[in-house]
Amino acid sequence: MTDQKDPGQAPVVEMRGITIEFPGVKALDGVDLTIRPGEVHALMGENGAGKSTLIKILTGVYQPGAGAIRVAGEDVRFGSTADSQAAGISTVYQEVNLCPNLSVAENIMLGHEVRRGPFVDWSATRRAATKHLARLGLDLDPASILDSHSLAVQQLCAIARAMVVRPRVLILDEPTSSLDKAEVAELFRVVRGLRDEGVAILFVSHFLDQVYEISDRMTILRNGRLVGEHRTAELSRMDLVSAMVGRSGEILADVGERAARVAAAEHDRAEPVLSAQGLGRPGSAAPFDLDLFEGEIVGMAGLLGSGRTELARLLFGADKPSEGALAVRGDTRAPSPLVSLRRGVVYSSEDRKKEGIIGDLTVRENIALAIQAGRGALRKVPAKELDAVVAKYIEALQIHPANPDALVRNLSGGNQQKVLLARWLATGPKVLILDEPTRGIDVGAKAEIQRLVTELADQGLSVLFISSELEEVLRLSERVVVLRDRHVAGVIHNGPDVTVETVLETIAERAAS
Amino acid sequence: MNALLTAVPQWGARLRDPRYLPVTGTLVALLLILVVGQLRYTEKRSFLSMKLFSNLLVDNSYLLVLAVGMTFVIITGGIDLSVGAVVALVGLTTAKLLIAGVPLWAVLAIGVLVGSAFGTLIGVMVQYFDVQPFIASLAAMFLARGLCNVVSVESLGIKHEGFAELASWKLKFGEGRESWSINLSMLVAFAVLAVAFVILHHTRFGRTVYGLGAGDGGTAVALMGLRAKSTRVWVYVISGTCAGIAGILFTLYTKSGFNLTGIGMELDAIAAVVIGGALLTGGGGFVLGSAAGVLVYGLLQVVIAREGLQSWWTKVLIGVVLLAFVLLQRALGTRRARRRPVPVTPTPQVAAPA
Repeated sequence: MTDQKDPGQAPVVEMRGITIEFPGVKALDGVDLTIRPGEVHALMGENGAGKSTLIKILTGVYQPGAGAIRVAGEDVRFGSTADSQAAGISTVYQEVNLCPNLSVAENIMLGHEVRRGPFVDWSATRRAATKHLARLGLDLDPASILDSHSLAVQQLCAIARAMVVRPRVLILDEPTSSLDKAEVAELFRVVRGLRDEGVAILFVSHFLDQVYEISDRMTILRNGRLVGEHRTAELSRMDLVSAMVGRSGEILADVGERAARVAAAEHDRAEPVLSAQGLGRPGSAAPFDLDLFEGEIVGMAGLLGSGRTELARLLFGADKPSEGALAVRGDTRAPSPLVSLRRGVVYSSEDRKKEGIIGDLTVRENIALAIQAGRGALRKVPAKELDAVVAKYIEALQIHPANPDALVRNLSGGNQQKVLLARWLATGPKVLILDEPTRGIDVGAKAEIQRLVTELADQGLSVLFISSELEEVLRLSERVVVLRDRHVAGVIHNGPDVTVETVLETIAERAAS
Repeated sequence: MNALLTAVPQWGARLRDPRYLPVTGTLVALLLILVVGQLRYTEKRSFLSMKLFSNLLVDNSYLLVLAVGMTFVIITGGIDLSVGAVVALVGLTTAKLLIAGVPLWAVLAIGVLVGSAFGTLIGVMVQYFDVQPFIASLAAMFLARGLCNVVSVESLGIKHEGFAELASWKLKFGEGRESWSINLSMLVAFAVLAVAFVILHHTRFGRTVYGLGAGDGGTAVALMGLRAKSTRVWVYVISGTCAGIAGILFTLYTKSGFNLTGIGMELDAIAAVVIGGALLTGGGGFVLGSAAGVLVYGLLQVVIAREGLQSWWTKVLIGVVLLAFVLLQRALGTRRARRRPVPVTPTPQVAAPA
C-alpha cells in the first residue's frame, strides 16, 4: 500500500494478508508487513498483539493459514526455519541463543567453519570469525569463551553469527532488553552499519525511545490486526501509543462519578498504610517513592514491560529490594512474602495460571492456601472454620459454580480470578496488590471484579491496582502511578479533567530530565 | 631454550584458564600422589618408574576406554549407567562364542557391536522417547545384566589359543626388575583416547557434543543449524562402543567371562571422568582430563596396596577425592556465576535531539 511512495526501493520482504489461527484464537488476522533493504523497520505492538507470531511465520516456525510471503519479489513458502534461512532471513533472539561454554569463534562459525577434510581448520576458522567481528567493529579474541564476555557482547556475537550467511533480512527480537544504555548504543552503531550496507532490519522492542532512535519506519499491530505502517519521523509518540493501546482517548462516562467519590475521600491522610522510600532493585525497577493510604485505590499504568509487575513484586517482597526502605503500618522489616503476608500485604500475581491458582486443587484448597501459610504447616486450619470461610467468599464474590469441591482448572478465567481474590481476602489483608486482575476475562466478570475492588476499598482496604486497560485504571483509582521504562514517570491525581489521553501523554512523553 | 621460555608462561596461562582449572586440579592431585609415593615408597628402587606406569595401564586400560566413552556422554549432560553390565555381557558373549568355535575376529567384532547396540538403544530412548538418560541407561543396565545370566551363571574360562596369544602379546623394554612392557590393551586404549581427542576437538561433531551440554537442552545447537538430535544419539553409541571395546580388554585381562564382573564399574568410570574435570551438568570436560582421572584412580589403588591397607580403603579414598573435586567444581561454578554481568537498570533516558 505504501510501495508507491518509494519507487526506488523494491521491498525485500512482503507479507500480505497473513492470517493464522491457534485453537480458539485468531492470533493474526490479515496482517501485512513490508520490509525494504537498507531500512530499520520496527514492529510495534503490546504483548499479545501478534509480533512474535508474525516473526515466527517469517522465520518458518509457524505456517500461516492464509496469506502470501514474497522475498525479493518471489513467492515463497517456508516449511521450516531452514527454508527461511536459505531465503536469506537471519534471526537474533531475545535470549542469547548461543553456547556459553564454547569459544567466540565456534559460536560464530560452527556450521560454516573452515575445514580441512573432516577436521576443523581452527586457525582459518578463527581468522574468519575475526573478520566477521571486524565487520561489526568488534575486536575480540576469537578463542575466548563466550561466557567470559558481557551479555551485550554475546548479543553482538549472535548478530555476527547471523551475518555469516550474508542475509538480506536480519530480525532482531527484543535485542536490547538485557542491555544497559552504553551497550544499546554499541548495538545501534552495529545495526546502523549493517543498514548502511543495505541489510533490511526488522527491529522489535518495547522501548519507545529506542524505537524512535533507530527505526526508519514502523508497522503497528494490535490484537492480531494491522493498525498501520508509518514512517517513524511522521508519527508522534502520542499517536504511536494510542495506536498500540487502541484508544483514541475517548472520555469514559463514569470517570466523573468515581472522581467525585475520590474528592470526598481526600481526608484523614495522616498516616500511610504502606510507605516506600527509594525502593528499587537494579534490573527490575529504578528507586521510587510510594505512599498508600487507608481505603485508597492507587492505579498503576504503563505499557507492558514498563516495570509494573517488577514494582509490585518489590512491594510484596517476591523480589528482594536492594535499596530503599519499606514501612507497612510502622513495621520496617525487609519485605519477604511471609513477612508481607503476616503484616497484611498480599499480592495477586499477573500470571494467574503459573503463580496464582493451582488448577488441580479444589476451590476450597486454593482458598485455604494463604490462610494455612500464615499459620504455619503444623497448625491445620480446622475443617469447620475453613468451610465457613470458603462458603462466605463463594457467596460474597459470587464464585460460580458455588461448589467448594470443584477443581479450579475447570472454572472460567473470571471465576479463577475470584478464587484467587478470595484466597487473599481470607487472610484479612490491609493492602491488596492486584496485578492485572481482569486480564483475559469477559466483560461481565470484569465489571464484577471492579465492583468488588471498590467495595473493598470502601471497607478500608488499600489497593494497588495494576492494569493495561487505562479506562479501568481511571475508573477505579484515586491516583495513577505512571511507569515508563522501569521508572515512575509521573503520578496523576485523578479528577474530572483527567482522561485516558492524560495518561497516554505521560506514558509517551520524553523524560526531559 | 627460547622456545621453552615462551612455552612455559603460555602453559601457565592455560592452566589458570577457567576452562582448564578443573583439569589443573586433576594434574595437581596426580603430581601430589606421585611425589608422596616417591618419598614414601622409594627404598631399593624408585617408586616413579616406567614399570609403575606400565602396570597402572595394564590394570586400568579397560577403565580408560570406559572413561573416554563416558566423557562424551557427560559433556552433553547425560550419564550412562549401563557400561559395567555391558562389559560383563561382552565378556560372557566372547567366552561363549569362542567356546562354540566361532572365529576369533568375528567374536571380537561381535563383542564390540554388542556394546554399540546397547548404546544405540539408550541414545534412541533418550533422544526420541525423551527418557531421562539416568533411567534409559539404568534400564539398559538391568537388561545387559539380566542377559548375562541368560548366557551363563557360571564363570566361563577361555582356552582359545589365538585369544591367549593376543592376551599375552607385549613389547618388552628394560632389564631385570626394571623391565616394563606395552601390551595390546594399552595400545588399544591409547588409540581410543587419541581418536576421541581428535573427534572432540577437531571436528564439527565434537564441538556439537560440547554445545549440547550448554544447559538449554540443545536449543542453541539446533538453532545454530547443527545436528543436535543425531549427535545426542551418537554420544551414547560411542559410549556403548567403548563399553564393548572395554569388555574385550577386560576379557583379555581376566581370560574369562563371568556374570558378576563389572558391578559398579560404571561408577568407577564416572568417578574417573569427574575427577578428570568434567562437569556432571554438561558442557565441560576433556578426554585427556578423564585419562588423568583414571591414573589418579589407579595410583590410589597402588598407594593403598603399598600402605598394606585393605583394598576397600581405595573406595573410601576415591570417595574423599571425588567429594573434593565436586566441591572444587562447585566453587569454580559459583565464581563464574558471580562474574556474569547483572542487567543494569536503564538510566533515565535523556532527551535526544528529535
